[in-house]
Amino acid sequence: MIGKEKLFKKLEGVLGRSKADQTEIVYLGSESGLTRYANSHIHQNVFEDNHTMIFRSVVGKQVGVASTNSLVTSDLHKTLADSLEIARKQPENPGFPGLPGPATYQEINTFDEATAKATPKDRAKIVKKIVGVAGRKKFTVAGSCATSRSEIAILNSLGVRAYQPTTAASVLMIPMSETSSGYASGTGRRFSDLDVDGMVARSVMKCDLAQNPKEMKPGDYEVILEPPAVAEMLEWLNYVSFGSKPFIQNMSFLSGNIGKSVTSDQISIYDNALDEKGVAFPFDFEGVPKKKVFFVQKGVAKGVVYDRATGLKAGKKSTGHAVTANNSDDGAFATNICMAPGKVSRDKMVSNMKRGILVTRFHYLNGLIDPRNSVLTGMTRDGTFYVEDGEIKYGLKNLRFTDSAMRALKTVIGISREREQIESWWSSVGCMTVPAIHLGSFKFTGKTG
Amino acid sequence: MRDKLKECIKLLKAKGVDYADCRFVRRENEALRVSDGHVDSLSRTLDVGVGIRVLSKGSWGFASTANVTAGDLKKTANLAVQIARASAMTAHEPVVLAEQEPFVASYQTPFKKDPFEVSSETKIDLLMQSVEVLRANAKIKTAEGGMRFFKTKKHFVSTEGADIEQDLLESGGGYHAVAFDGKEAQRRSYPNSFGGDFCTKGYEFIESMDFLDNAERVREEAVALLKASPCPDTNTTIIITGPQMALQVHESCGHPIELDRVLGTEISLAGGSFMTVDKLNKLKYGSDIVNINADATTPGGLGTFGYDDEGVKAQRTPIIKKGKFVGYMTSRETAPIIGKKSNGTMRADGWNRVPIIRMTNVNLEPGTWELDDLIADTKQGILFDLNKSWSIDDLRLNFQFGVEAAWEIKNGVLGRMYKNATYTGITPEFWNSCDAICNRNHWRVWGVPNCGKGEPMQSAHVAHGVAPARFRNVKVGVSK
Repeated sequence: MIGKEKLFKKLEGVLGRSKADQTEIVYLGSESGLTRYANSHIHQNVFEDNHTMIFRSVVGKQVGVASTNSLVTSDLHKTLADSLEIARKQPENPGFPGLPGPATYQEINTFDEATAKATPKDRAKIVKKIVGVAGRKKFTVAGSCATSRSEIAILNSLGVRAYQPTTAASVLMIPMSETSSGYASGTGRRFSDLDVDGMVARSVMKCDLAQNPKEMKPGDYEVILEPPAVAEMLEWLNYVSFGSKPFIQNMSFLSGNIGKSVTSDQISIYDNALDEKGVAFPFDFEGVPKKKVFFVQKGVAKGVVYDRATGLKAGKKSTGHAVTANNSDDGAFATNICMAPGKVSRDKMVSNMKRGILVTRFHYLNGLIDPRNSVLTGMTRDGTFYVEDGEIKYGLKNLRFTDSAMRALKTVIGISREREQIESWWSSVGCMTVPAIHLGSFKFTGKTG
Repeated sequence: MRDKLKECIKLLKAKGVDYADCRFVRRENEALRVSDGHVDSLSRTLDVGVGIRVLSKGSWGFASTANVTAGDLKKTANLAVQIARASAMTAHEPVVLAEQEPFVASYQTPFKKDPFEVSSETKIDLLMQSVEVLRANAKIKTAEGGMRFFKTKKHFVSTEGADIEQDLLESGGGYHAVAFDGKEAQRRSYPNSFGGDFCTKGYEFIESMDFLDNAERVREEAVALLKASPCPDTNTTIIITGPQMALQVHESCGHPIELDRVLGTEISLAGGSFMTVDKLNKLKYGSDIVNINADATTPGGLGTFGYDDEGVKAQRTPIIKKGKFVGYMTSRETAPIIGKKSNGTMRADGWNRVPIIRMTNVNLEPGTWELDDLIADTKQGILFDLNKSWSIDDLRLNFQFGVEAAWEIKNGVLGRMYKNATYTGITPEFWNSCDAICNRNHWRVWGVPNCGKGEPMQSAHVAHGVAPARFRNVKVGVSK
């Protein structure tokens, strides 16, 4: 960690040398450790100290981007010059809106000293505890435990000065018997907030309950999707539908449906990076303050997230969801997807089910089959159960589902009041915050074996 | 850099580690994207650092840094030793590495034109012209093209005396058009979906891809898809063309033969494999005409290199021989478990990632058919072209793929077009239903530049040499 003052001093020195009309520097620095375990022992244990500086130079409507991970001053000057040279060599981009001006950001505490100081030994102790509990049931266990400290700074020649230090921690566990597996995971800004004891107990119980699974014929069933399963569905819907680019290109299930009912009125899906209870973050990678954005509110399609360029194209303002300039081809992206909680407890949700399937999580989802109809496919994994008369009866062999998310979300029976934070691909700057959902209809189209 | 790396090795030897290697990587990347008549982005990235892997008292530690001064490398080496000690806190059998000759060698990708020396104007012109052809129909609402180039320098040294330098060059690109009629949106791509095709060659690869000659066809097929029928929900014969065959091999053969995955070390993310060690030399994976090799020496393949990131020389390994499962992709740690030496498939996605088993060029060997004859020989079926969606279970058994376009085959002739077509199956049943593979005239190596595996996530560059092939009694048309 370099620290705000030292970092700004170094980068402002570079910014001051720019000969472009407008210039932006994004700094991403992190020290991260990840301990990976399988067959009940640590088999990979890694640490990374890295920092990337992304330069964007603008000459009129010409834009050039260059990046380096060297902090040596001469390398920074060269990369700045490269970005200018790239800009001057290309035609004007009439769709470029210019860089943003200065803004004020919500003050959010995203840094925890203890998490920043976590060591490989601290992570190994957590793994040892998980291995011990699973071992008492004679289960092996696989998973990972990660901690990191990062700092992000954004400066531009129009006066943007944004800086945020962060920490993050996550743990994931998959206990396994000869015939079954269970699952639990958690993520947050503070290592100490992770309820490892609760997660081990829950995942071991699932593994136990799922032993000697039976086959279930594919078909249309009532389902309870637990938070990891809901998060995996929303992660794909985000990728294919909640960003500005698929929406503008008419590939999103929200395209042409704004203001129309697309799901049950019990469903609200939104992005909110400003909630300190989640993995919060105050601004995007252009230095624009993040806003809360509803995709679906009480069942009605509301909108998508924008950066400045795609916002200009769509006649909207940026919602503070730009990615870095070297990855901006696919437009704005939401990093803190949430589904609003309901009123039912998760236990009550099971007791409310007459006959159906409880899904812990999915594996290898894909939402590109027919994104305008929000069709998803994927396999269940790590704990699929048959429920009858309000009780979990036995474990099931994994099933494939293929269904329209919009169609399935029209059949909501209940939504849990409890929500979980689920780590996602973009874990360093956000996470998913989701409940369990009880649906009246969900189409399973295949099975393994 | 050699001196700094060797100093690290000296330090680690003095600390009494079982084994250590230091890997310097410098990777340059250029990316261009042209969209709807303007340049969307043009960027260059430089990424430099050193990764140090230590085996101490039978446990692994890995530390990496972007700060490559001698002092920082010494600090990082010490941290790698501390991490290895933390790994020993969970009891396990000590890691034993297969014997390996410590090569002192170098390797360079053969190429004709360095893409980093070709002007950005030349690249932009080609993409702009292609996109212009794509846009020449009012129903095309989006047309995009892109190119990416990677230049990687690696220097690997180990406590065993290995000292290997490699210079790798990769080039690739492609384009796509999205047609929209107010209700339906459909995409068509060239030469492959999701960014195009990639290989270890220079700019001559871009020039060989005939971008302009294919743009009109791609445009018209995108528009035709708007009026295409949905794929019927039935069991039928299918023919799969090259790029989709590549992904079929990738997901249902390439991943399940990674021995680390088989041994359970990828469970936490990507899952395991049904191709367990007890099935080696026993499982009838496919029909007698199915022969698959993992070949890191395939000329131009995106998975081609000189030495892997453990210093093992690139080689060709039989995986499926006349339908029988005969081999894995292995590492120095995993190979002894099946009584072998490593076959050189350990690669890391940069200096900041630990090497793991990655596909090289996992190739389905060509058969005997001409494609026209194969279609003519098919009474009833569907031809599937270019991947659109992919999904497979955590043991690599139950898969479902969707494609950009499909065509009915009736009495040996291609007929109407189908949209949103999918097919699904169980891996060994599917490969045992393969009754025809096209010949070398139709065989081509397809690059996959985005193969995800590992934690933290690693994206590998791999490839698959394939020709179109036919499969019987396959379930198609499951779309919702």
